[in-house]
Amino acid sequence: MRVPDSFLYYLSAHADCSERLLARAGDLTALDLEVLPDADARRLRKMVFEVQAETHRMKAFVRLKPLGRHVLYGYLKPKNRIANRVCDHFARRNPGTIIVLGNGRESWISLLCDGRLMREHGSGMTQTLERLASALHDSVEGRDTEVESIWKTYYDSQYCPERKNLRVFRQRMPRKDQDSAGLRLQESKENVTLEDFFAKI
Amino acid sequence: MVTLEKIAHLANDCKFDSLGPEAQVDGEKLSMLGEGTRHDVCASTFTPRSPDLPGICHSFTQDGRCVSLFKTLYTNYCSHQCNYCTNATNCSRKARAFTYTPEELASITLSLYRGNYIEGLFLSSGSGRNEDVVMEKIVETARLLRQKHAFAGYIHLKILPGASLSHIQEAMELADRVSINLEASSPSHMNEMSATKNYETDIIQRQRYIRDLMSKTDRKVSLPAGQTTQLVVGAGAESDLEIFKRILYEYREIGVKRAYYSAFSPQKGTPFESRAPQQRWREHRLYQMDWLYRIYHFHPREIGNAFDEDGFLENADPKMAIARQLMDTPADPNVASYGELLRIPGIGPRSAQRIVALRKKQQILGKADLAALGVRIKRAAPFLKINGWRDTTLQMWSA
Repeated sequence: MRVPDSFLYYLSAHADCSERLLARAGDLTALDLEVLPDADARRLRKMVFEVQAETHRMKAFVRLKPLGRHVLYGYLKPKNRIANRVCDHFARRNPGTIIVLGNGRESWISLLCDGRLMREHGSGMTQTLERLASALHDSVEGRDTEVESIWKTYYDSQYCPERKNLRVFRQRMPRKDQDSAGLRLQESKENVTLEDFFAKI
Repeated sequence: MVTLEKIAHLANDCKFDSLGPEAQVDGEKLSMLGEGTRHDVCASTFTPRSPDLPGICHSFTQDGRCVSLFKTLYTNYCSHQCNYCTNATNCSRKARAFTYTPEELASITLSLYRGNYIEGLFLSSGSGRNEDVVMEKIVETARLLRQKHAFAGYIHLKILPGASLSHIQEAMELADRVSINLEASSPSHMNEMSATKNYETDIIQRQRYIRDLMSKTDRKVSLPAGQTTQLVVGAGAESDLEIFKRILYEYREIGVKRAYYSAFSPQKGTPFESRAPQQRWREHRLYQMDWLYRIYHFHPREIGNAFDEDGFLENADPKMAIARQLMDTPADPNVASYGELLRIPGIGPRSAQRIVALRKKQQILGKADLAALGVRIKRAAPFLKINGWRDTTLQMWSA
């Protein structure tokens, strides 16, 4: 079964969710949502899956860069209201490190320290990072270019040309989710043939 | 009230130094040793610890395969003579030999993990001059990560053929998953593929070691994600039925979590260079067969119906072939048991569960209801009889 018991959380995080919709969904159980064939249930189910899928992809696609010793930051501009949850995920993954996710307009900050999770919601990412750097009195030199080039070399070494399958690549790395996470893993031109172009149309 | 300044202050106070050592790597080495593992298919990162470590695919290459682990060889120097492998001693176009140090590997893994590029490390290797030395380095790398850097990510270690019992145990204490590749389905096929590996003692016996270490009651090893294995398909002349029999043995006697199949593709300079590459679909059909046994819990006798007289699977869904042979009468989704539903093509474990749950609430009236539950109607319709109604088939006309 795919609908989780906490489906109301996912539903409330959806960009198109309204109070009325939530009230209606409150009468249903996760099992109802999973199996009922009527149009209403199907729409709610679809919304839950959309938020789940976006949360999962953001956890996978957002790349973090170090800023000094205590901060990791990354670009995130999600369609739904999931940024807090994604930010918490990274904070749990890197205990003792401040995680800043954000874009030009807003930013989310999480830190897991001694088993406690702290959150903050701030304005644009550049401002937040500047405030953090001054509060930390830390050097702000980046090491990111090096890790990025290690990654690029490694990523290219994993490609098996004889297995080329761009259809699956596009399906697994949808452009819209890559954009939300600020990721650019697009088909490199030298690998694309005329055949692929026709398969696309 | 939490403010940005408070968060900054607390992070400063956290004793834990989460920054790993700086990674500095020779690009050619990174690329060569990375390429050495691209035919290893296992990329799963889910591990049932507490709490579970989720399976996350961080990126995909343009061949549509997931890159979620830093998958690499420790060294590409190897003393084995495997006829399909570019690192073998009998390969005429061998690349320069490269070797990592445990510190280098640990620092690359940590920086990639921190940047959220990967979920963990997958470490395989050529056997070097002596597999014991290489095994020791592999274990050392895992120990550095786990004990010195408190690395909480996923670690998958390869056990080299012929590795010693003590090294296997050490690897199992540190890793989430270990694996040793079968490569071939029987000793005779192994002899055809490699002159230096002994199937029974170098491989199967090591798998038994892993099984026995896992079943010990006073064990220190937890190995949450268990052991797996992988076969090269189509390098020799083995049939799908031979592979199936070997896999049954692996699941039942050795207790492997799952098997991976890698279609053979000839590599330049190897003795198998001129052999024809194996079609991708064969790999796909073998996985379907594997799923029918492992996930759908079909009896091996049922699955036997999918093979032709030479023991090969056709390039068609094996479940459909089995249903054509064994399903004489159509099933009614309102009364059929879970097991019966699962045997209808187009209905998987999830949609079967949903059907069982829905019919407790209301009767299933037609195909549209089933489609909403995720049933693939086109495939399922010939085997369905919903409330006494079924689709007309050509067979009915001829009868």
